[in-house]
Amino acid sequence: MANTFTTRPDSETLDKFAAELNHVREHAMEQVGEADAKYIRKIIRIQRLCEISGRISIPLGFFNPLIWVIGVLFLSVSKILNNMEIGHNVMHGQYDWMNDPNINSRNFDWDNAGDSNSWKRYHNHEHHTYTNIIGKDRDFGYGLLRLSDDTRWKPKNIWQFFTYLTLATFFEFGIAYHEVAGERIFMGKRKKTSSLPISREQLKSDFFGKIGRQFFKDYIFWPLLCFPAFLYVLTGNLAANLIRNLWTNTIIFCGHFTEDIHTFKMSDCKDETQGQWYYRQILGSSNLEGRKWFHIMSGHLSCQIEHHLYPDVPAMHYPHMAKQVEQICKKYNIPYNTGSFPKQLFTVWQRIIKHSFPTKGKQTLANA
Amino acid sequence: MNTNASTEIQTPLAKGASWLASSLVNSQSFAGFFEPLVQWLVPQWRADRIRSKITTIRHESSDMYSLVIKPGLAFKCFTAGQFIELTVIKDGAWVSRYFSISSSPAYFQKTGLIEVSIRIQENGRITPWLVSALEAGSIVNLTQAQGEFVLPEKSNDLLMIAGGSGITPIRSMLQQLSNTSAALPNHVTLLFYARSADHFLFEKELKAMAADHNWLSIDFINSAEQGFFSEDHLLEYCPDAHQRSLYICGPSPMITAARKELKRLNFNDSHIHYEFFGPEPVDNAQTGSANILFSKSHKQISVTESNNKTLLTLAEEENTSPVSGCRMGVCHQCICQKKSGVVYNQKTQTYSDTGHQEIQLCISVPVGDVVLDL
Repeated sequence: MANTFTTRPDSETLDKFAAELNHVREHAMEQVGEADAKYIRKIIRIQRLCEISGRISIPLGFFNPLIWVIGVLFLSVSKILNNMEIGHNVMHGQYDWMNDPNINSRNFDWDNAGDSNSWKRYHNHEHHTYTNIIGKDRDFGYGLLRLSDDTRWKPKNIWQFFTYLTLATFFEFGIAYHEVAGERIFMGKRKKTSSLPISREQLKSDFFGKIGRQFFKDYIFWPLLCFPAFLYVLTGNLAANLIRNLWTNTIIFCGHFTEDIHTFKMSDCKDETQGQWYYRQILGSSNLEGRKWFHIMSGHLSCQIEHHLYPDVPAMHYPHMAKQVEQICKKYNIPYNTGSFPKQLFTVWQRIIKHSFPTKGKQTLANA
Repeated sequence: MNTNASTEIQTPLAKGASWLASSLVNSQSFAGFFEPLVQWLVPQWRADRIRSKITTIRHESSDMYSLVIKPGLAFKCFTAGQFIELTVIKDGAWVSRYFSISSSPAYFQKTGLIEVSIRIQENGRITPWLVSALEAGSIVNLTQAQGEFVLPEKSNDLLMIAGGSGITPIRSMLQQLSNTSAALPNHVTLLFYARSADHFLFEKELKAMAADHNWLSIDFINSAEQGFFSEDHLLEYCPDAHQRSLYICGPSPMITAARKELKRLNFNDSHIHYEFFGPEPVDNAQTGSANILFSKSHKQISVTESNNKTLLTLAEEENTSPVSGCRMGVCHQCICQKKSGVVYNQKTQTYSDTGHQEIQLCISVPVGDVVLDL
């Protein structure tokens, strides 16, 4: 059974709860407009300037290694902003209302090995609809980690903290491989049912195409262009990608795998009302507290709860919505999981280590 | 108005550049990558549009105004009768509308200016707002001129039929004809219909033009008194219409009625040129049925308005292979470009704008005719 250490309020209460949450959404949406357009354009400008500065500084490391370090930092910030505050949010459709040909969920492509269309399919749909449903939301442990007692223990879980570190290191490839793995493109038994809207060949070629383009850019084109500094550029780009991978992985793990997170069964979301859906999203997510720059660098996934309630509301509204949502949760006695970044991260590590070992007493069947 | 997207034919060079841009800067073009930076220095600059300046706003009548625009350098000349797409920023969002150019190419060559004349649509979101939001010096974005509603190089005698603001492309044609020494048709007749005596746009100018040129005759017809275009009007104002090329522009009911009448009178279809003016789908909203056009797959269906099926369901029934996801308006998988028409958003319970826009198919119900890029 999925862990439920609070009982779900009856559906009438949850209907009232949903009405209040909808009110928060409406209130925020009324304010969406020029300020949001200005904000996202400003962030994109900062990202572009960071990228250009990074690309220029890294080869100059040839003359002074300190410039290389600064360049790597610039490029890392560029990639993090591009993936988190810009890419993730734009691809959720938060800025589709702007009618901008370059800032919309259909056209946007991020600086990441994962094909954006593939990511949109499994993330926006699978992860956001079936959040923390064991066996359905493959973001829960990424098929590699055992993160709750709902999953049967296997011997490989013993070294899963190292698996976790490896996943974090290569996180962009994890994102790229996610749907390909789910569809059993390269290995495993082909699923009987699949809702993949494109052909398997197309999925495969998109997968290799995107990885190829990213590889060409960071490890062939730029290093060769700055030839005498070939190695500086190659290692600089590698370092920037690594920093981005570790950062994004850390933020994302803090969003759903902290100590008090709840998991669910497929039956929990059957004929779910909006209130029940909201309830599940809140219990399956956790927030991180921090300063404004931290919210921006995390793509406002620091407000994971609000993001799961309102995935297409422009993210800069989440921090002030969070105050209202927390109040409403308090009123209805629904747990609202928030804490400082170090504290939440510590509980994530705890969870990974704790579930490396078989659970004493009760051994439940995998719920897949 | 005919707003079909131009067919995209890519040269190998363009293909290579686009691959390089997608690889190196994760954008569809390098211009797309630099666009936000350029916008910092040059507000509202768009890589895919021509940044242009309003020089004057002229009020033509109580519900009509003309924008005099100085198009950016990239603007090529146009042919009289063509239209442009005008894009402006409203509350942070780009909004676009199509307008016929109401001035002539000759005028553009002389002054570098074009004019568009706009009727204020009651309950419209853009046309009433535009006139208050813009002023001399404001920036607007244009496309190159498009459209097939143009005069041939050398033409027969002409019969032009204009309804209301449908006069705008015809004004451009007449200005052009009266400004060129090239082969002129011997006779041009214009039947100009308006709903009241106060609604004859450019009346003075047109009358002066007719007085100056003996090949031109213009009849101002008040449709409230004399009714719409009919066989009687044809006999009265242009008995030799069968020998002429016909150019019709106006609101869609007028065009539909005129074409029907001409068909009944055995006019040759190839002699009839026409252009819908204004937001055609809205006009049809009262009829109770809506046509959905899937422009990429060339499929069209008709639905009754009481039928509350979402566009996603309709698109799936037509096998136009839309992408879908949560089907509850959360995941934005089914996002699709609506090229024109009004849809009702079931989630936000609001009606959309009439221009082109990104919409979520799974929560959108058509209200009148809709054209989808699917």
